[in-house]
Amino acid sequence: MSIPATGRSLGLVVCLECRSTVRAVRHLARPRCPRCYARLHERKPHSLAITTVLIVSAAVLYVPANLLPVMTTREIFEDEQDTIMSGVLELLHSGSWPIALLVFIASIVVPLLKIIALAVLLYSAWRRESRLRMQRTELYRLVEFIGRWSMLDIYAVSILATLVQVQSFANILIGWGAWSFGAVVVLTLIAARTFDERLLWDEPVRA
Amino acid sequence: MQRPESRPIESAIAIAICALVLLILSNAYPLVVMHVNGASRETTLVGAALGMYVQNYTTLAALVLLTTVIAPFVQIIALLYLLIPLWRGRRAPGQSTVFRLLMWVRRWSFMEVFMLGSLVALVRLSNYTHVVPGVSLWSCALLMMSLSALSTVSSPEQFWVWAERCPR
Repeated sequence: MSIPATGRSLGLVVCLECRSTVRAVRHLARPRCPRCYARLHERKPHSLAITTVLIVSAAVLYVPANLLPVMTTREIFEDEQDTIMSGVLELLHSGSWPIALLVFIASIVVPLLKIIALAVLLYSAWRRESRLRMQRTELYRLVEFIGRWSMLDIYAVSILATLVQVQSFANILIGWGAWSFGAVVVLTLIAARTFDERLLWDEPVRA
Repeated sequence: MQRPESRPIESAIAIAICALVLLILSNAYPLVVMHVNGASRETTLVGAALGMYVQNYTTLAALVLLTTVIAPFVQIIALLYLLIPLWRGRRAPGQSTVFRLLMWVRRWSFMEVFMLGSLVALVRLSNYTHVVPGVSLWSCALLMMSLSALSTVSSPEQFWVWAERCPR
């Protein structure tokens, strides 16, 4: 198979902010886009290392995010602790299965999928794998697109906690599960940004 | 591949103004109203973030405030700041800086997710008590649509097509 021409091999760089194509910046110390004045990088600096750190921290925080309660409903006689999963089950039992499915996908499946997908992308970029490049690029775009949907449960909890406060019948307290969950979402969002998709197209170094 | 895009700049400005009005409405009116024992309680968009702040989750409150109030506001205002001068035939001062701010802030504007999140909250509460969607929820739904229309109409490629047509 012939080696595909990359921007790098032709001496071209694309500006990641305004998408203009810029010629020959390698001789400049700190090249900037002539159009929008954003910093230009042939490849984002230390992309693999920074993304790895972010993904590992996100994976670690994914555990408390799912095990610790996201909220505690304090009623007169009893406290009820809700993790993300028990919230989904409660929605399921009350008969609103479409909403239950939505929360399940957005809060449990999407973050896990994101962490796994970015780990796969990182590994293949590090190995400079040359197979399935198109598919991996598609996977990256998917990860970038779905990431924000994990914020769903955080918003739901914030509204619940605000409404049901200092009430006669119940009181909702936010738990550390919500905090770790928010951290997972933000870390994976930043990780998707620090990963340079152009690394997927680099040719393996020949021995 | 890049495809030369050429939509009228007026339509982008119109959608941006529409989104700005909807955003102001969404922030001014209650999102959800809850009725318990004859008393009613309501929350607004900012209120959702404040609720977390009150419970000492400052970082979460900041995250919610950034993604549902600050980012959409900055997004729309920055776009109008860039587009209105271009429409009148000149470039806004600090155009490239504001453009980069816009690109950053667009990634953190999660209005559509918030919208569905408030629906989830509504469903969960309706199992216990009587809840009514407020004016803000409806304008949020419209805002969500106009924001997605806005980002299609004013893609970065399209923006620079407009900007480079201007001499100054």
